[in-house]
Amino acid sequence: MRTRRIGLSVLAVAIALVFAFPTYWMFASSLKPRGEALSASYDLVPTSVTLQNYATALLGSGFLRYLGNSLLVTLTAVACSLVAGTLAALAMSRFRFRGRKGFLMLALIAQMVPFEALMVPMFLFMRDLGLLNKLPSLILVYWITTLPFTIWSLRGFIDGIPMDLEEAAMVDGCGRAGAFRRVTLPLLGPGLVATSVFAFITAWNEFLYALIFMRSEDLQTLPVFLKTFQNAFGTDWGATMASATLFTLPVLVFFLAVQRKMVSGVTAGAVKG
Amino acid sequence: MTATHTRPAPGTAGSPVVPGARRRPRVREAMPYLLLAPAVLALITLLGWPAVNVVVTSFRKLDLGELTRGEFTWIGFGNYAQILSNPEFWTVTVRTVVFTACIVAATVVGALLLALLMKHVPAVPRVVLQVSLLLAWAVPQLAATTVFQWIFDQQYGILNKTLVLLGFDSFAGNSWFASGTSTLAVVGILIVWQAVPFVAMTLYAALLGVPNDLYESAGIDGAGGWQTFTSITWPHLKPVLMIVTFLSILWDFKVFSQVWAMREGGPDGGSTTLPVMQYLEGIAGKHFGVAAAVSVLMVLVLVVVCAQYLRLLLRSQEVEL
Repeated sequence: MRTRRIGLSVLAVAIALVFAFPTYWMFASSLKPRGEALSASYDLVPTSVTLQNYATALLGSGFLRYLGNSLLVTLTAVACSLVAGTLAALAMSRFRFRGRKGFLMLALIAQMVPFEALMVPMFLFMRDLGLLNKLPSLILVYWITTLPFTIWSLRGFIDGIPMDLEEAAMVDGCGRAGAFRRVTLPLLGPGLVATSVFAFITAWNEFLYALIFMRSEDLQTLPVFLKTFQNAFGTDWGATMASATLFTLPVLVFFLAVQRKMVSGVTAGAVKG
Repeated sequence: MTATHTRPAPGTAGSPVVPGARRRPRVREAMPYLLLAPAVLALITLLGWPAVNVVVTSFRKLDLGELTRGEFTWIGFGNYAQILSNPEFWTVTVRTVVFTACIVAATVVGALLLALLMKHVPAVPRVVLQVSLLLAWAVPQLAATTVFQWIFDQQYGILNKTLVLLGFDSFAGNSWFASGTSTLAVVGILIVWQAVPFVAMTLYAALLGVPNDLYESAGIDGAGGWQTFTSITWPHLKPVLMIVTFLSILWDFKVFSQVWAMREGGPDGGSTTLPVMQYLEGIAGKHFGVAAAVSVLMVLVLVVVCAQYLRLLLRSQEVEL
């Protein structure tokens, strides 16, 4: 029994190493001097460490402009999602009305739509609106990609806040809106944070629509930039890994903060409701 | 919560309500619809309209010329006839289905084994494993694709270097992107690597949900490991396993980013999947009508593959809403 436990533990750690390797390798490669990455020698650990690749990535390539584009598009879309999502979640959680089930089904189906299959109409739609090559086109698409999940997730969080608290506030003289703003909204804080982080990650990662809408180079977002970066820098893998690391960092930080909620959030939103 | 007690006197807050007292039930009835309005408007214009439009477009001849002239040329099933008679479409469809089946199977089986492993190891190795799973999950797809390109790099990639070091000299300078199949294999490993963590965590959570006394009584009854698994663990796990399999099919069938970013569907279209074909036809080739028909067919294939799951899911929703 004991040896079996030790054996399984060793196996678990070995698998952990394999899983962590690509992430480690991205980081390790980003710290290597240019010559070392492109040499025949075999170095799992960088023998000398340099920040030169980060300087190349940040200064030599317009990284900051793409970072700005990504942040602007992502944050605006998340804000729109949160506002529309909170209102809709509130309606579903706190009211019983005709068409409620229909809306729930709509949000559920919306969550399963393969957005990749809509690239042609989305492209034509943005073209007709004159939004191709303009950042608002991405904001609109990221809003709609994150909205269904936001609605389901926030609905779950609001359901978890007892209605009695709002009613007590209303007895105390608050209007319905006042009761929500003063009682439910503060309690919804963690739910809003978790939901917005998830929406942020979805929009931050999106590649396809950024690729097809943004024809001009300085309007690209970071994912498309990463893809074209290699062409621009040839085989400068160190700088490529440095920019990949920079692109990953915010996601990693957010992710570790809310990952527990993510499993339940994703499954609840996608399937259980 | 104390804030609720420091409200202004009820009279002040209530006074504006009095004149509108008769209107109030009406306002209350309209309230949920007002709250839903922004979300519904967004869903209809930005999702419903494109969804209808993709079907409409698939019946039009719509190339760059028609688009710039604003012409509406209906060709009925012309686009479909063109695609369905194109042998390349069938190759790509079969490739996409096989590719999806392989990565979904690998993801679910791998995740199941990992979840069982997590259940049977002490806390320290379990946390180590979970942290490394989270790392793989959190890396953005495009960053991950770039890293995999670097790991599998022909000349300087760490994989080839390692294989040579282990004595497999033939891997020196081996190109992993020389054929479509091996390119897709690399993309598949990449996708599985990022997909396993979520599925494993979900299954692990489900495993923890199995009541412990069931295992105790099985132990008293003298059930072996395999018997315990088939009679207790599996029945509890099966519904969750079905859901994650269904979700994985949905997610993996439509993968575009990693396939495109890795080798743009090459070499010679050898790693082209349906979403990539759509992009090449529609956005790059400006054959919007044809590409829309590919989209519709793609969704149809997805619906056929998932029909059974979809029915179960909708039925369970009916009850739960």
